[in-house]
Amino acid sequence: MKVELKHISKTFGPVRANQDISLTFEAGRIYAILGENGAGKSTLMKIMSGYQSADSGEVVVDGQALTFNAPTDAIASGIGMLYQDPLDFPPFTVLENFIAGRAGGFLPDMDEARHQFMALIERFEFDLDPDAYVDALTIGERQQLEILRLLSLNVRALILDEPTTGISAEQKTALFNVLKALARDEAMTVILVSHKLEDVIELCDEAYVLRRGKFVGQQSIPCPISALVELMFGKVIERQARPPVEVGDPTLVVDRLCITSRRLTVENVSLEVHAGEVIGLAGLDGSGQGEFVRSCAGLIKPEDGRILIDGRPMIGLTYHQFARAGVAFLPAGRIEEGLIGEMTVTDHFALTLPSRAPWVNWPRARHTAQARITHFNVKGRPGSPVRTLSGGNQQRFALSLLPQNLRLLLLEHPTRGLDVESANYIWEQLLERRRGGTAIVFISAELDEIVAYSDRILVFFGGRVTLVDDPEDMTANRLGELIGGRL
Amino acid sequence: MFLNAVIDMLPAILAPVFGIVAALGIIILILEWQGADPQVAWDYVYEGTLKTAANRADLMAFWMPLAITAFGLVLTFTAGLWNIGVEGQLVMGAIGGTWAVRLFTEYEAGKGPALDLGLGRDGVLILCFVFAAAAGALWAVVAAVLKTRGGVNEIFGGVALNFIAQTFNMYLISNGGPWQPVGSRATETARFPEIARLPTHAEFRRLSPTTIYITIGAFVLILLIMYVSRWGLQLRAMGKNQRSAFLLGVHTERNIILSMALCGSLAGLAGAFRVLAPDVTKLTATPSGGMGFLAILVVLLASTSAILTPFVSFVFAVLSKGGQRLESGYQWDYGLTLDRSLVRVLQSTVVLMVVLAFGVRNRYFPPRSTLPVVDEDEVART
Repeated sequence: MKVELKHISKTFGPVRANQDISLTFEAGRIYAILGENGAGKSTLMKIMSGYQSADSGEVVVDGQALTFNAPTDAIASGIGMLYQDPLDFPPFTVLENFIAGRAGGFLPDMDEARHQFMALIERFEFDLDPDAYVDALTIGERQQLEILRLLSLNVRALILDEPTTGISAEQKTALFNVLKALARDEAMTVILVSHKLEDVIELCDEAYVLRRGKFVGQQSIPCPISALVELMFGKVIERQARPPVEVGDPTLVVDRLCITSRRLTVENVSLEVHAGEVIGLAGLDGSGQGEFVRSCAGLIKPEDGRILIDGRPMIGLTYHQFARAGVAFLPAGRIEEGLIGEMTVTDHFALTLPSRAPWVNWPRARHTAQARITHFNVKGRPGSPVRTLSGGNQQRFALSLLPQNLRLLLLEHPTRGLDVESANYIWEQLLERRRGGTAIVFISAELDEIVAYSDRILVFFGGRVTLVDDPEDMTANRLGELIGGRL
Repeated sequence: MFLNAVIDMLPAILAPVFGIVAALGIIILILEWQGADPQVAWDYVYEGTLKTAANRADLMAFWMPLAITAFGLVLTFTAGLWNIGVEGQLVMGAIGGTWAVRLFTEYEAGKGPALDLGLGRDGVLILCFVFAAAAGALWAVVAAVLKTRGGVNEIFGGVALNFIAQTFNMYLISNGGPWQPVGSRATETARFPEIARLPTHAEFRRLSPTTIYITIGAFVLILLIMYVSRWGLQLRAMGKNQRSAFLLGVHTERNIILSMALCGSLAGLAGAFRVLAPDVTKLTATPSGGMGFLAILVVLLASTSAILTPFVSFVFAVLSKGGQRLESGYQWDYGLTLDRSLVRVLQSTVVLMVVLAFGVRNRYFPPRSTLPVVDEDEVART
């Protein structure tokens, strides 16, 4: 089945998640949709599978433009999506899940369904017990069940969102074999949404890459991993010659840090960051850099290892104690964590300005608000609710809230979603702080940004790190290989 | 300019008016359906609450505990906490107050106080209020710690604690419980001794000025917290986005526990008002009678505004007291049996309709201040 997306655009408030994206998916081929978090791939797939509707543009199936009001409509037109976390009903049996969402009479025909189910598992050589309860199944088995369910609903185009997360190597091989067979023998269209570049190279025929809500290019596979990385992260300009940094004493010392989170284990990271130094953290989303930064902010308690700020051991202290030691953390989701959308600019200053008095000094808060938003070029009034500011202005405002004399500033995607000029402005502000002796550690999905501003780079892959401190190594090829896991 | 401002204000004013009118319409329909004349109903409500000075005194005695409970809830609702457990906190306050009376006064004739501190009436009453506030606060802190440390949503914790408080009360005063007078079959304690009774108003024996003073004091405290203090601003930030508030330096866990404790202690004081009321002076089977839940409705209707809370709680007090007159009036004059719960239906309908009206307004007529600020430079660049 041929599926075309034509001029799809979708905005969420100030965020342009998809901007005029047109893609074609031919029958019988396997496609990859690549892009970092926030690139817009989930939104695009949700529009394609009827979960959300586009602001403009259309979904064309076999030459016919269709409107989807719900996933049911998309499935009826032959487009089904397999979500990253299986959307099944754990307290029910496999067979009961299999018939969920199926049209039909009041009483389901269980015998007929069992028949169909057995025929399908035989064909794909899945080992599933129709009477087992779903909560006893592995993620891989639940995926198999969901695929069978979608196939039984006559889905002709299958979207898979990060299907290889949390499944075993054998299950992955089985899954890929099935997907290849479906594309080859039944001319199904398969679309894989993934971060895992090896998987993409192994399975797909063609990769479409999104960046910052736009379609930026396609790449036929096979190809070297670095070709995909370059598309995802953007071309890397040659590193400018830069004056040597005058670094001070070590501000942050991380010693053999180990962090265990739900998704991965970050192992044995050691790093010394000096006052005035800028460290860029590169890597695909979810490779451990987020966990690393959050432990340095005191938000995640590491399993093992030491963190020192100005020589003082910090493990076991709270986020607020880290803050008192001069550490600030600016998360990526500004309005979800970091700012309070419903409160005004002045409210934020009233809340964060240090004060010993039990009452709010409103004149001082208003005065500071006016002075800081002028200095940081924030378009808005002291009385504007922060939610009404645009993305760039929210980011500048978040920076203007930070205390003046910081020892360590941790940033997640400091310029995500901003236009070039806003991004440059943010960096001017950050570099000014660095001159004042603040050490800066930042995560970015833009290799450009990392190469341009970092003194040293820490590359994360699957929870392991490689330190790049030789400017000679800061090239697209070398970093691309490290990010893709080729050490 | 001025016209714009007026047009902006209109939905904000019209929404509650529309809600109240819609609720009254529904109530009138119900009354008509029951064969009761709505005009007469209004007369009964007026007669039962505002007509005579004695009625107004009774109304006052009901209004005070309702208002003080609602003041506490303003704090927790502002912080984004649904303190459903306020009902149990009120009951615990009643129990705590009663315990103080049992400890510090000569409860059973001839035996002397269990803890003889040689207190006069003021001392006993102060300890009575302190115990009540402490008991209410304790019960609220249990819910708060269950939330912050145990991951139990305050709504579920509150519902469970309400049951426990009510059951504990019944254990104390029924079936030969430790606080039931020997030989009595009534589910209540003995009446409090003279020394533990509130001073009453010269003309109205059922009204005590003490409760009015305490409630006014609580009102001033809540106004200071909500409109002047940094703590009130922190609570507001937590209510809007707890995660961001934490990252901006607010001690969210401590504030959850503190705001719950303060709310619980005010509910506890309300519990003390209820048992110490001059026409009660004993711990009964239902010291709260749903007053905690009623206070939740009050705060919802006042959209957690501290300023509006006394007025809204006054309206609800009128509806509650008037409802009793409504029931007896129709019974005597017309032989018509109206269920007592009709008043609850009325109060809930008002809340539902006003909340609905606000929802409709926010959806279709968003206030101007929430519209995005356009950054012209940014627009020009893209």
